[in-house]
Amino acid sequence: MTGFARRLAGKLLTGLVMVWVVVTFTFFLVHALPGKPGDVQYEQYIMSGMSSEQASAKVQQVYGFTSHASLISQYGGYLGRLAHGDLGQSISYTGVPVTHLIWSALPWTVIPVLSGLLVSFLFGVVAGIIAAVRRSSRWGGLLTVSGSLVAGVPAFVLALLLLVVFHTEWNLLPDAGTSDIQYNPGWNLPYIGSVVQHAVLPVCAYALLSYGGWLLAMKSSVVSVLGDDFILASELRGIAPVTRARYIGRNAILPLFTVLALSFGVMFAGSFFIEDTFDYPGLGDLLLKSIGTRDYPVMAGAFLLITVSIIVANILADLCYTLIDPRVRR
Amino acid sequence: MAVTANLAPTGIRAGRRWPALTAFRKAVTRKPGRLIGLIIIVFFVLMGVCGPWFYGRLAVDPNALYAGPSAKHWLGTDFAGSDVLQEVVTGARYVLATAALSAFFTSLFGVTVGLVAGYQRGLTDSVLMRLTDFVLTIPGLPLLIILSTVWSFGSPWEMGLVLGITGWGGVARAVRSQALSLRERGFLEAARGLGLSRRHIIFKEMLPNIAPYATMQLMLSMIAFVGAEVGLFFLGLVPFSSTNWGVMLNQAVFSGGAMETPSALIYLLAPLICILLLTLGIVLFLDAVDELFNPRLRERV
Amino acid sequence: MSEVQVRGLTVEYQTSAGWLPAVADASLDLRAGEITGLVGESGSGKSTLALSLLNAVPAPGRIAAGTIEVAGVGDLTRLGGKQLRKARGGAIGYVFQASQNSLNPLKTIGKQLLDLGRSHEVSDLRGLIARALDLANRMGLDGKRVLDSYQHELSGGMRQRVGIVFALVLNAKVLILDEPTTALDMLSQASVLEIVRKVHDENQLSTLIITHDIGAISEIADRLAVMYGGRIVEDGPLLDVLRRPTHPYTKALIGATARITGDIDAARALPGRPPDLTTVARVGCVFRDRCPFAVAVCAEVEPPLEAWKVGAEEQIGRRRACHVDPSTVLSGTPGTPAAVGEPA
Repeated sequence: MTGFARRLAGKLLTGLVMVWVVVTFTFFLVHALPGKPGDVQYEQYIMSGMSSEQASAKVQQVYGFTSHASLISQYGGYLGRLAHGDLGQSISYTGVPVTHLIWSALPWTVIPVLSGLLVSFLFGVVAGIIAAVRRSSRWGGLLTVSGSLVAGVPAFVLALLLLVVFHTEWNLLPDAGTSDIQYNPGWNLPYIGSVVQHAVLPVCAYALLSYGGWLLAMKSSVVSVLGDDFILASELRGIAPVTRARYIGRNAILPLFTVLALSFGVMFAGSFFIEDTFDYPGLGDLLLKSIGTRDYPVMAGAFLLITVSIIVANILADLCYTLIDPRVRR
Repeated sequence: MAVTANLAPTGIRAGRRWPALTAFRKAVTRKPGRLIGLIIIVFFVLMGVCGPWFYGRLAVDPNALYAGPSAKHWLGTDFAGSDVLQEVVTGARYVLATAALSAFFTSLFGVTVGLVAGYQRGLTDSVLMRLTDFVLTIPGLPLLIILSTVWSFGSPWEMGLVLGITGWGGVARAVRSQALSLRERGFLEAARGLGLSRRHIIFKEMLPNIAPYATMQLMLSMIAFVGAEVGLFFLGLVPFSSTNWGVMLNQAVFSGGAMETPSALIYLLAPLICILLLTLGIVLFLDAVDELFNPRLRERV
Repeated sequence: MSEVQVRGLTVEYQTSAGWLPAVADASLDLRAGEITGLVGESGSGKSTLALSLLNAVPAPGRIAAGTIEVAGVGDLTRLGGKQLRKARGGAIGYVFQASQNSLNPLKTIGKQLLDLGRSHEVSDLRGLIARALDLANRMGLDGKRVLDSYQHELSGGMRQRVGIVFALVLNAKVLILDEPTTALDMLSQASVLEIVRKVHDENQLSTLIITHDIGAISEIADRLAVMYGGRIVEDGPLLDVLRRPTHPYTKALIGATARITGDIDAARALPGRPPDLTTVARVGCVFRDRCPFAVAVCAEVEPPLEAWKVGAEEQIGRRRACHVDPSTVLSGTPGTPAAVGEPA
């Protein structure tokens, strides 16, 4: 195996280990919650007339692990079911598989997040380049500060501000829900139009969330590259300006992959606030609601999925970087 | 075969009293924004420390519900008649106290782990780093949200502790890399060679070198801490014991309907603007701190 | 017959104290087939001079006065835009220090050569690559392998040779090398100097080597020019300058150089520190504070760079900027003056 392939495999392995750690952590988290929800449920089933096997099986179905078996076998059973994609069943929506709930919530998080990420990347990178090139002028400094400011402001502050300005003051855009109720969901134009209209503010909120990060990262990257010897060398060799711009651009964008990895964490963290404020039924909202109703299987499932998504996104970004930078490729 | 007469061109400037203070003053006054940032921070700190002294108990004026700004209530009142300005000022104390406590705990855990790992290396280092990786991998906010179901960490100490427990990973890693670079510069070997005790090395040699960088990281995380704690209150996950900005936001949006009624808007905007201002202040001031510790960034001749 | 003629060159930098000269009124000739060594300590302005030959003084600097006539191109100080860009690399080649990463880390050497060719609108790119391969092979590199490599896969010495390839592949007639021996061990130093001499001879170039190492440069240079405080204080044929240094600074430099043979105590350091552009004297001779031969006039009038005359006879190709009589400087022992005038 070449050194490169070996390192690739190493990274994948580390990623798998981290996923496993998170899975185990989630198991113990739910298991350790006071009130032993599984046991409580078990008692309830017994009281409602089920036999112990039936009750046991029902608890297993709902929670993913049996309450009275040994810890190890519970854990094993949990992992086994996970491998089959079974996350248990919801308590508040009785009988509905958790995976089903997550699946229907997923698009309302993933699509706005990805859109917001794209928008913020475009604006942030361009702004970062300008801020770097004009860094000694007043505008450059102002741009940088604005980037830091936006990067530092908490997600819900951004969301609330957007709401106040665009809904309360100017009433341009709606404040809650994914679409107006009068439209039938489906691939028809009015519905899609309404969805888009309702999605504008959440996407803007997501975009603002990571815009600051892109700007600052790109600026510092461009500044650093501009100071590199080979940039001066290319000027002294008479390289054409367009080519030089390409040299600078590609070298500066490379480190931004780490920002991409970080962005996923930030976006998912922000999803709690943004979905709460805009009443969007995404993953974050699912987790929050499940906490309100103490719906433990859903809680565990949502937490697991969010955490694992972030880890996987990090790994992917890391892998992409390895593939693109020839210095690492060897 | 080099010319031995070659010495560094820049001379040593004559020392002044308190050179650190002079450098600090210069860095802050170089750009006006930084001074503004410092002023803002001091303003909020004063608000947090001295503010509540001006108000006895929370004055409630049941006659004026959701009143607009007036001479008596500069920022109007909220849904229960409490003076908004009063709430903002008293709320500041909680927010800042918690942020400070979070910073304290984070640095306590992070610096300790980072220093020990960087100094010891070997097995201790590996174990500690695995632990740090673990803490870094688990996303903080979802964890905090889940934790809120079992533990209601409402008081500043509890909140600070929890934020510290979930957030020390980044500091630990940064401190460790600083420690490793010190090691590489022969710092530690020289100290060891001089026969200095381990405690002396860690506290008198390593810590002062790491402190500036760590402080900067901490100031940066202050923004995140404020965001996290206010956010947790806003989401309604933590019980309200006293008023703070997060509580105000939560009340304003979810019970007060501030989104709809423009008159109640002030109740929503006041804490919002405070958070914005505080963030701005820290961001502006950090520019100066950054330049102090990173002389390379100074725009020189 | 000069490829490059520099007259009255003054380069200034903007500081908090205003525009200060890093190079003041410099005049220099680079002739075809000659290697000129420009020697000076850090802060002497030699690197600024080299960069200004390409009209590439970085901000906050600028060329304030003077002309740089390059054969076949014109006055570089008057060129701009595309013409200037073409001259860089096309007429004058610049080689960076070995320790510097002068190439794009993300592209192979070969691709960057093609970029170079396209930037200079070279119609025959194949020929360009062929010439590059030829140059590389002559310098002891495996041309094909190097062209397919990335910068990080090459050693410092290899990178420097690649740098020379880039500087010469467009048939520039002038070659400037910035500190080619710094950051290299003794053996590599020797081989680099050998390669430079060889390449220079084969292509009949005008070569300028910037260095602080007077010993290294003495191996291959034909002419020597000495810089101090932004001024050229002495120049002439190498051996003649080394044997008969007529400027106190040159003498001190030679005297301070430790030799492998002989008594190491014979090397004398010069007291004091070389100035940089903020601390250099504005009135009078820039060297007078450290000069053991200084007299009263040295503090008031700056000595111009003039031909050295013994009686009425000009010593061919020798110039010096000093008030003190050359014979006084020549007869004094290194480090200690034979006769000291009134101290400045």
